[in-house]
Order: sequence, then C-alpha cells, then structure tokens
Amino acid sequence: MPQRPVQPATRRRNRAAALSLVLIALAAAGCSRRGELPNVLYVSIGSYSEKSIDTDLIEGFRKRLGGLEYGYRELHPATRFQFTVDPEADLVSIMRRRTRAGLGPDLLVVNGDTSRQLLEAGVSDPYPADAARLASLHPSDAQRLSDRHGRLSGLPLLVQTQLACYNRSRLPTAPANLNELLKAGARRHPLGLTTELGELFWTAGSLGAIDGLAQALAGRQPSTQQRQGIQNWLTWLQEANNQMWVTFFGSQSSMDNEFVAGRLDWMPCRSTSVPTLRKRLGNNLGVAPLPSGPSGPASPINRLRVLVLGKNSSAQGRRRALAFGHYALNPLSQRTLTVGSQTVLPANRYVTVPIGSSATLRAMATAAHDGLQANPIIRLVHTSDPRIPAVQTVLTGVVFGELAPRSATTQLIRALRPQR
Amino acid sequence: MKDLLLEAFGWLAYLERPQVLLQLTLVLAAIVLQRQGRRQRWWPKRPRWLASILGAALLLALCGGLAALGWAYGLALLLGELWLGWIGLQWLVLWLARWLPQDRLHQLSTRLLKPGYLLAATLLVVEELDSLRDLAVIPVGQLLGVSVALGKVFNAVLVVYLVLVGCGPPAAGLAWLVQRAVGISDSSRKAIELMLRYLVVGLGLIGVAFHLGLNATALIAVAGGLSVGLGFGIKEVFSNFVSGLWLLFEGSVRPGEVLMLDGDPCEVRKLGLRATLLWRDRDNAELLIPNQTFFTEAATTFTASDRMRRSQVNVSAAYHHDPAAVIALLEATALTVPRVLPAPAPKGLLLNYGDSAIQYALRFWISNPMDNVSICSDVNQAIWTAFQREGIEIPFPQQVQYTIATQPKQSGNASRPAAQT
Repeated sequence: MPQRPVQPATRRRNRAAALSLVLIALAAAGCSRRGELPNVLYVSIGSYSEKSIDTDLIEGFRKRLGGLEYGYRELHPATRFQFTVDPEADLVSIMRRRTRAGLGPDLLVVNGDTSRQLLEAGVSDPYPADAARLASLHPSDAQRLSDRHGRLSGLPLLVQTQLACYNRSRLPTAPANLNELLKAGARRHPLGLTTELGELFWTAGSLGAIDGLAQALAGRQPSTQQRQGIQNWLTWLQEANNQMWVTFFGSQSSMDNEFVAGRLDWMPCRSTSVPTLRKRLGNNLGVAPLPSGPSGPASPINRLRVLVLGKNSSAQGRRRALAFGHYALNPLSQRTLTVGSQTVLPANRYVTVPIGSSATLRAMATAAHDGLQANPIIRLVHTSDPRIPAVQTVLTGVVFGELAPRSATTQLIRALRPQR
Repeated sequence: MKDLLLEAFGWLAYLERPQVLLQLTLVLAAIVLQRQGRRQRWWPKRPRWLASILGAALLLALCGGLAALGWAYGLALLLGELWLGWIGLQWLVLWLARWLPQDRLHQLSTRLLKPGYLLAATLLVVEELDSLRDLAVIPVGQLLGVSVALGKVFNAVLVVYLVLVGCGPPAAGLAWLVQRAVGISDSSRKAIELMLRYLVVGLGLIGVAFHLGLNATALIAVAGGLSVGLGFGIKEVFSNFVSGLWLLFEGSVRPGEVLMLDGDPCEVRKLGLRATLLWRDRDNAELLIPNQTFFTEAATTFTASDRMRRSQVNVSAAYHHDPAAVIALLEATALTVPRVLPAPAPKGLLLNYGDSAIQYALRFWISNPMDNVSICSDVNQAIWTAFQREGIEIPFPQQVQYTIATQPKQSGNASRPAAQT
C-alpha cells in the first residue's frame, strides 16, 4: 500500500517539534558550561503583611535586600536576582506546587517558624551550616530553627523587632511602662493596640503571663501563681479596652493608617514600618521600646528572617544560594544591612550594633533582647498551629468584654494544650 | 518595560535544571509521537482528535511515572492538562454548532473562547514560572503623569477587549426585552442594541481610564488636544463617527432599513463607527458606505414610515381588445400573485396609444421592498398566462412596407460637369 503523502504544513510542524527537541537537548548539554544561560538566583520572599502585595511592599523588600544584592554582585557580577513575593500564610502550598513542577526558588527569605514548616512539609532542604557558622548564631535562634531531627531549617539573616511608635508633637516622651501608658490615655492621648495575638503578645511579658502560657503549651498545668499571671494579663487587656482613649484595632495596617492620619498618638509598630511612618510624620515620629510592666520587660515577638534552601536548585543554583548565604551572614554584610536600613538587626551575634548613634537602633536592640523571653513560646507553637485561632477567639472575647478574665484564663489554658 | 523583559529573560535559567529539561523533553516527545502516529497507515480511518487525546494521555501517564519516581512533574502535567483542555474546547465548539448559527459560532469561537483559553493557559504557565502578582506591579511607564503598572495595563486591555467583543449578546438581549415590552419595530430594536453597545463601550473606556488612575483634569486636557487633532488629522473619521450616531438617533439609517443606492434597493446590515454596511440583493454584494454620505446627501428609503413599496409592470395589448376588459383582467391577475398585497388594491392604467399596441401599467403594493424584482417577475408571468387564457394578444411591433412602382427620378445635375456649376 502506498504511503499517504505528507502535507507540507505537517512536515513543517514536525520539523519544528524535532528542532525544539534538539534545542532542549543542546541546552541540557550546554547548561553546565558557563555563559550559556542567564546566571539567575531565584529568591522567594515571604510576605507576612496582611495587606495586599503591591508595588510599595515589593519595593520595600527589594530595598532591604538591595544592599546585600549589590554587595554580592560586586563579588559575582554575572549573577542576577529574580525576586518573587509570596504571602507567608500560603507559602507551604505555593512551594509544594512549584517544587512539584521543578520550578521552586533557589532561596527563600521567610520567618523562622515558616522555615520549620517548609522543612517539615518537605519543600525545602536543611541548611548545611558548619560549626563556625552555627557559632555565629544566638544559641536560642539556632534552637528555634532546628527541627526534631536536629536539622537546621534555615540560616538566620536578620531580626525585625516590634517597637513603640509615637507622635512626638503630641506626646513628648514614650510611656516607659504600662502604668504610664494608661496615664497617657487618661490625659486624652489616643492610644492604639491590636487584637492580633502576635502583635499583642508583648503585654504578656510585662504582665507576667509568659511562664503560665509556656506551661500550658507544653501540656502541663500552670501553677496557681502562673495562672494568676495569665489572669492579670487578660484583666489588663479588658481594662485597657474600657479606657476611652484606648482603641483596639483588627489589624496592624488599619492602626498604621490611623496613626499616620494623626488620630493616634502612640501604638506598637514593626521596625520595618518605621521608614514608611517617618515618610509621613517626619521628625515627629518617635521610636521607643515597648512599655515594661509590673512583672518585667515587654515580650515582643521579633521576627527572625531566615534564608531557606529550595529543593529544585541545579548544582550551580545551589552553589549560588550557599555563596549568597555565606556572604549575607558575614559581619561586614550584616553591619551594612543594619546601619543602611535602620529597620533590622543582625542575626550574627558577633556584629556590634551602633546603638549610641541611633535611637531607633537602640530601641530595636532593647526589643531584640526583651523578645528573647518569647522564644520558648515560639518554639512550641508556629503561626499555622490550629491552637492559634482558638486562643485568638478567647483573647478577642476578653478584650471586648464578652468573657470574664477568670473564666477566659481557664479557656485559654485549655485551648493551649497540645492536640493529639 | 526593561524590568519585564529582564524578568522574562530570567526564566530561561530554569533550563539549567535537569528536572525542567526532562519534563519539557517528555512534552515534546508526546507531541512528536502523536503526530508521527497519525501518519501511520493504520491511522487514517480514525479521527484526528483521538490522536490528540492519546498524545495527551501518554503525557499524563509519563507524569504519573515521574511522580512515582519522586521526580518533578508539575510543569509537564500542567501542559498536558492544557492540551486536554484545548481538545475539550474544540468539542465544546462542535457541540455549540447544534444551537448557534455558523457565523455567530465562528465569532464566539475566534473572538472569545479560543483567545480566552489561550490567555488563561499563558497566565497559568507564567504563574508556574513566576508570580503573576509580582509581574502585575512591574511599572511599564508613565501616562499623563501617572505611573502605570503592567497589571493595570493588562486589565485595561482585557476589559476593553471584553467590552468590545462581549457586550454584543447582553445588549441584544436587553434590546429584545425592550422590543417585547414596548412593541418597537425590528429596526428600532437593532438601533437600541447598537446604542447600548456604544454606551457600554464608552463607559468601559471611562472605567479603564479611572482604573489606570488617570485624573479627570488630565483626561480633559487630552480631550482638548484631541479636538485640535480632530480638526486636522482625523476629521473624516470623526465626521463619520458623529454622522453614524446622528443617523442612529434620527432613525433614518438603521439595520434592516431599505435604501435605494444607484437605483438598486439595498438593505442596511450594520451601522458601524465609520461606515454603514449595505447588502444589495441583485448581486449579493456588500457595500461599505461612509456614514457621512447619508448625512450629507439625499437618500431614498422605502422603510421610513412603513415597509410597503408600490411596484409597477408595463404591458401592451392589441388595439382590438376593450381597454376596460384588459384593465379588469390585469387587476384581477395581480391579486392572484401571492406576495402582492390585496390592499391597497392593484390598479391598472392605460398609459398611452403606441404604434403597435395600447400600453397599460399595472401598479400594485408589496410588503418587502427587497422582493420587488422577483414579485414583478411573478406578476409578469401571471399576466402572460391570463392573456393567453383570455385570448388577449400582446402584439409585436407592426410595420407596413410599400413598394414604389415608378423608377426614381434621375437627378438633373448628376451628369452636369462640375465646372459648369
């Protein structure tokens, strides 16, 4: 039987397909040679902000990492950085999808507990830190980032702290303790707080609730004294909301908006928000550590930003990622990052922060130190833990007067117990 | 724009990864295999789409193999799913062919379904390679002092396209509802539909301008600049556009109207932004006439107040037939032709006395002006039959020739020498 004649168009298409195959094969063969393909380091940045990802947010991230990128490219000029910004809350599912396609990033910049989640989900590789590099980290940070097998989920890069921001044109000095804070409210200075657990947790340290919460999280019954500490904390929150000039907001971003609009004189803020707030308030913006309380200093949850290795890197991509990690943690880069941005602190403990030259850095250093007391809690519970929403519900109920502090304490302890 | 190009260029570096290369190789292998398979001797009896499905199924099976080995497969799976989706889309078009007319289906398929699918597929692939959210905020330039991001430009283009392409069916539906409720004519319904489309497109463009963040002052400044430009450069375009709108509101040139153009009745098919599309029955030609032609020149219409047309056929009968009987027969014959209206009644007329016959005219009314030629033909045939039946003669021209008996007289000066004159 004679062969059916092949149409010219079909022949052309077949040739195109064959040519594509050859091109891919050539690319595969040539990718090991330098200069054949762009030298790109894919970096995904986790966005913890509840607001949508917009140009300002991306520019903010790029500016913060820009110094490091610039310095790294001085050493490796051919390397290009390709950033994507993904919401941290969805990062595990996004990375699952991208890793499944072989298109995951070489490097991720995420929060400490997200790095552990990524490692547990199998979408990142443990960071191969040698003894010298581990020695440069705070032991509590290294512990916080290790999983139960002792693997390091990521390399600490920087610390973002929680501070107190105030309008100096109306409030000359920041309240140093909770008493002064409420007195400022009584003097008709509008104050802002949020109902978000992570942003409100600093009050737990000031009011002596940390130990009791840690006990409950570990599945043990808090002592009477510890229980009293939790109850004091909840009582203070409820009383604060009863103050006429204290307002609780649903989110940090809505509180920020009120602050820049001049309707708030004092509020807790993130160190990364300081440049934005300063742009609006200028020299009237004051920055201070969060107020201490009768039981001790505040316990802000400072965000430890870490570098995490993706799973899909090629050999060259992994080399680039590790080289960048090595560069980012060296003392000179860390100091440049801190002094240049004035919004983050170094993760390398051997880097001295010049607190004498900047009130903001001084407040951040204090916040970083005070925040260490929250580390035991952070180690026991991560942001996507199912216990968090239950605790949040109790907290909101207390703040808005629906729950009495005494019964709320019992509910809170119950909600914090580890789930089987 | 530079950022966007750099971003897209950066995707090439994924080819550095063996897992990505393997997936792309498998996709291309599946495509080549299904094409080669279709060329085999045993294949021609089977439909083409079966080969495509088998190709896509092979690719999905290969993805399953990759997954079982614990290797990356998501990109190949996505491409396989998109392939299957494309086959499904073609089936959908075939299924819709049962319900929709060919031209509507062609429009729907080529303007909405296929471009929409390809766009969605491209976005899915880009989302796999990068983050659409990040790409959306890449600035592409300044427009009237406002920084415009890629996402906004994309949305703006998409909205304008959807408004232009997609506002037809809803506008037609609304116009139909108005017709049902108020009882307007078909041409009025079409005019309402067109006006609704212009309204939606206008609102869409304004919405897009605000979406891009252009302020009203800047838009007014642009409008001022444009008015100068209109005066010089695009005067004709603007004139045609305004003429079109005017004619639409006036109602003289609407889709469905019948106009006389160069002696031929033509039906208005579409009143466009620049030109009106007319259909000429005589040769099935479609004529594109600039709108301002109807705006500035006199036009004859058969459909301004009603759609009736008075037609006329001329016929001759021999002198020996009684004109009253012929006229009565003509009028009665006209009434037997199906598409001739009984009222107003057909009217026979004696026009004049010709050389060979008496000339009559038969005037009658028809409901569709476009049918004039074919109805006249029917009437003429009916007259011939009736005359045959009644023995009425349609005479040929008659000429009586006389032979002159005497020789023509010789001209006296024919033989006179020219010199003697």
